[in-house]
Amino acid sequence: MLLADFGTSYCKILDTEDRRPARIVATRELDRSFCADLATGHNAARRSRKSINELTALARGGQQLVNRPDFVLLDCGSRDIKFVRFHEGKVVDMGWNAECGASMGFTIELLSAYYRLDYATMPVPATGFSITCGVLGMSHIFDAVVSGASETEAVAKFVRGIAHNAHRFANEPEELYLSGGLCDNPLFIASFPCRIIPLGRCVLLEGLQATLGKVPSR
Amino acid sequence: MNQRIGIVGVPPLAVIEEITRAGDTFIDLDEPQVQASLDQSASRIPRVYCAILRTVVLNCMHLSLDRVYVDVGPGKCDCALHTAEVLDDMLSVPVIRTRNQDVHAFGYPLCTSRLPLLEKFRLITKGVQSAQPYPVRVRCEPQCGFWGVPPRDFSLLTLFPDTTHIFGWTRCMENKTPASLDLERVFDPDIPTVFFSQSFCAKAALAKHLAAKHPRGIAIDCDVTAGSSTRAKIEAFLELSGIESDLRSID
Repeated sequence: MLLADFGTSYCKILDTEDRRPARIVATRELDRSFCADLATGHNAARRSRKSINELTALARGGQQLVNRPDFVLLDCGSRDIKFVRFHEGKVVDMGWNAECGASMGFTIELLSAYYRLDYATMPVPATGFSITCGVLGMSHIFDAVVSGASETEAVAKFVRGIAHNAHRFANEPEELYLSGGLCDNPLFIASFPCRIIPLGRCVLLEGLQATLGKVPSR
Repeated sequence: MNQRIGIVGVPPLAVIEEITRAGDTFIDLDEPQVQASLDQSASRIPRVYCAILRTVVLNCMHLSLDRVYVDVGPGKCDCALHTAEVLDDMLSVPVIRTRNQDVHAFGYPLCTSRLPLLEKFRLITKGVQSAQPYPVRVRCEPQCGFWGVPPRDFSLLTLFPDTTHIFGWTRCMENKTPASLDLERVFDPDIPTVFFSQSFCAKAALAKHLAAKHPRGIAIDCDVTAGSSTRAKIEAFLELSGIESDLRSID
């Protein structure tokens, strides 16, 4: 059974009959004919036989990975951010922001490539930009560089602003489980004003596996 | 001669009876009546504004009407009060402000029936144009609830099961007591409930407040059309509340 999380920038693919871990493929490099059995993500309806929405996959994945009744799980993707909050083992709140939280992950990746920055070596700045959207937030970087800030410093403030905006979006919990590719970004994780527990890039695939258990077999 | 009467909100029963007696035609201006871009209304009313009242203005820009009733009292909203000023200057026909404070309860059999949710809303909004008592309907056991006003985009109603009970102002509409806050604040804590409001509507405060009080409630707002993230939130909320969609077998 082929499971896929079709992200905007990266696809996470798992063959349940294969012992190897999920593979991560840049979306632009994925074969056009690829079709999953069960999928989630922006292209899921077009590229799979059955799809579920991303919030459902996120919540089910969180339930599989976090062995606690109360927690908040935030997924920061290339294009949008979404969260689910569990209380006493049940989802009690959720949000999906594809507009004001748009393109956060994608712009963070673009900026590191353009300015040739390594997020693992960048310190967290004392202050950040006030940012609600990755695309609009980039103008803060350009303004800061024009004002004399280094590119590294300006981008770090951008990343810190993104982390704070994501934290606010999740209703400012004291502790946050994080899902998505930004789990691998040390600057992003250290920029949150709360404790972060990274769960990695495959939380939605976990949710698909949990969903598989719910699908009646023929 | 038959006249075309525009109505905004729920005019008092006395007005409905008068229009019916005269044999005139109701035009519900809260609903899209013309095939024109909503952006056209921006010359008269701000873009960042209740989509239903923007629709009212757009309808009035295109339709030929003989008279317009706008309910501006506690049964509607301040935005309607101000939009009535715009319509008054814009139209050459009378714009009559009403303050519906009717208290005679007609009941809400459609809100608790088993019809598809979209059909329930169609019948309830159409029912505003009648002063007749409702036929008896069988109450269904609810799986979930929809609290709020009739959305600008009815398509989001198709996400809900037929066993959805309606609460909030729509229930007040069917009951013909649109100013009844006591009825509007009612919800069922035993069923997962979506608390819906139009973006930029004052009722969003009540929606958020009640959703926070409800053990399994979620507040959702939507502007002109229900985008993919709004639809996904509703779908996920229903699925995660145990109201499964069409999970089919995969071989």
